[in-house]
Amino acid sequence: MGLVNFLVYLSIMMGIYAILSLSLNLQYGFTGLANFGHVVFFCLGAYISTIIVLVFKMPFILGLFGGMVVAGLFGYIISIPTANLKEDYWAIATLAAAEIVRIFFLNEDWVVGGGPYQGGAFGIGGIPQPLRSLFSAHTYPFFYLAIVLVCLVATYIIINTLTQSPFGRVIKSIREGDNLPQALGKDVKRFRMKVMAIGGSFGGLAGCLWAHYHGFISPNQFLPLETFIIWAMVIVGGKANNKGAILGAVIVMIFYNSTRFLKDYIPIEAVTLASLRMVAIGILIVVAMLFMKEGLIKEKKTLY
Amino acid sequence: MTVVQVVINSIVRASELTLLSLGLTIVYDMLKFANFAHTEFAVVGVYLALFLNVTLGLPIIPAAIIASGATGVFSILVDRAVFKKMRSSSGIIIMVTSLGLAIALRNAIRAIWGADAQNYAVPLQTPIITEYFRITPVQIWIILVGLAAMFAFHLLLHHTKLGKAMRASSDNPELAQASGIATEKIITWVWFMAVTFASLGGILIGLETYILPYMGFAIIVPVFCATILGGIGNPYGAMLGALVLGFAENFGLYIDFGNIINLGGILNFSKELFIPTGYKPAISFVLLILVLLIRPRGILGKKKEG
Repeated sequence: MGLVNFLVYLSIMMGIYAILSLSLNLQYGFTGLANFGHVVFFCLGAYISTIIVLVFKMPFILGLFGGMVVAGLFGYIISIPTANLKEDYWAIATLAAAEIVRIFFLNEDWVVGGGPYQGGAFGIGGIPQPLRSLFSAHTYPFFYLAIVLVCLVATYIIINTLTQSPFGRVIKSIREGDNLPQALGKDVKRFRMKVMAIGGSFGGLAGCLWAHYHGFISPNQFLPLETFIIWAMVIVGGKANNKGAILGAVIVMIFYNSTRFLKDYIPIEAVTLASLRMVAIGILIVVAMLFMKEGLIKEKKTLY
Repeated sequence: MTVVQVVINSIVRASELTLLSLGLTIVYDMLKFANFAHTEFAVVGVYLALFLNVTLGLPIIPAAIIASGATGVFSILVDRAVFKKMRSSSGIIIMVTSLGLAIALRNAIRAIWGADAQNYAVPLQTPIITEYFRITPVQIWIILVGLAAMFAFHLLLHHTKLGKAMRASSDNPELAQASGIATEKIITWVWFMAVTFASLGGILIGLETYILPYMGFAIIVPVFCATILGGIGNPYGAMLGALVLGFAENFGLYIDFGNIINLGGILNFSKELFIPTGYKPAISFVLLILVLLIRPRGILGKKKEG
């Protein structure tokens, strides 16, 4: 893999994870919702978009919207039972919900059209890449990077506008406790549900982009571990700061992808290296929580 | 499979879950955070026992006891290094920290011992087989240790000074401290007991099935489910929750739901309808979400005052 190709690949991954990190930041950083199942939106976006494009032969753009809508709806639905709960219950309930969806895709192969070695634990291959025929194998990654960047910029603008609007002030007050927003007559539960739906649909967007870039998805790619990588991004970058969320995604992705080259210099097995990489991510979360609670870019405190 | 067999499987599962949920619930009660590293501590004990048993050749019973105690001490050290600095932080901050710790522990184990399934060096288990059921000696051990843990917790909470101090500190830490209870000392004991029992539970699961670095993650949702089901922070709730979940997981796969829809044969709406085995892990997940929906404070949970 040439250096340029690798950098383009890395940038695409950074862009996709930055979208995930922004959407989790909206839920955790701004609203205080400890969503430990964020990967479910990623998973739903990837699967729904694949089903729409591969099984129903619809265009990519419809897959993208379909994935976002379903992921957003799912966010709305899972927050019905959980919206009034305390944060520790939130964490475990969202984790469980994400696993239910993953187990569903693991067991049901008909949802992706079935066929030999398709769906279920086998995963699905041959997911079409949008406008692939217009580009050569060499130039296509650049085009895809452009798509990802457009999506990232759109996500950033929407979430940033939202968090600076009156809506953003309400959700930040919810994060600090239910009493104040309730005293002002805000329906706390509805706001939480909206945040889950909006964050969820952007998570879905990231999933669509991921599926159509790799051309292959399987339930094993959506393990809870993914959620925790996104958490590391939000915590390191700075919660409740959108620039911080993007910075966190960039840093964690660089760390995550550059350590793979270590095996060229140190005699170490790939499996061990992968484990050590996750040890580092875990320690990163602990250290950040202990010594750098605000993250690299602090939340802007504004007086109104 | 006979009903007796399903009941036995349910009780075995309930005992395993009890050993793990008791610790989760007392740590929550004392420190007011959901410890996502709880089951990973148990896996540390599982692999320590593997090291003592397979690498050093110790028999399994002393290996299990030494490993569990050592893991308990390890958790105290982790508490001193990490959680002690966060006593005044909000529950969500500590919870996320415990998550980071869980990831680090799980993958450190994987880096050291590898990702493959392993087994303790124990002689092949000859199950006791009767007309209605079969049970292995390990399963009997699981039930006995589970019962012993329940009894020990009951004695501890209600018949010792430490238990009284524990209950006082969890109710009102400032008042407890003002009355001369060394809260930090109590916390140390809580960690030790919580993690030692969890580790014993993990080792027993490892004996019954096999050992994997991911076994802690595989059981975390059932353990949380049992804890929340009974009412988080209440040891008796954890025992009850484990029992309910143990039966739900096993009977969930055993019951023909088609028969229930047909009202036991009166109607003929549905064919045979079983939950596919691939969905077994989903039972506890679904149950957890149902509990949160209907009764978030759990079966034995008290209504929050104020």
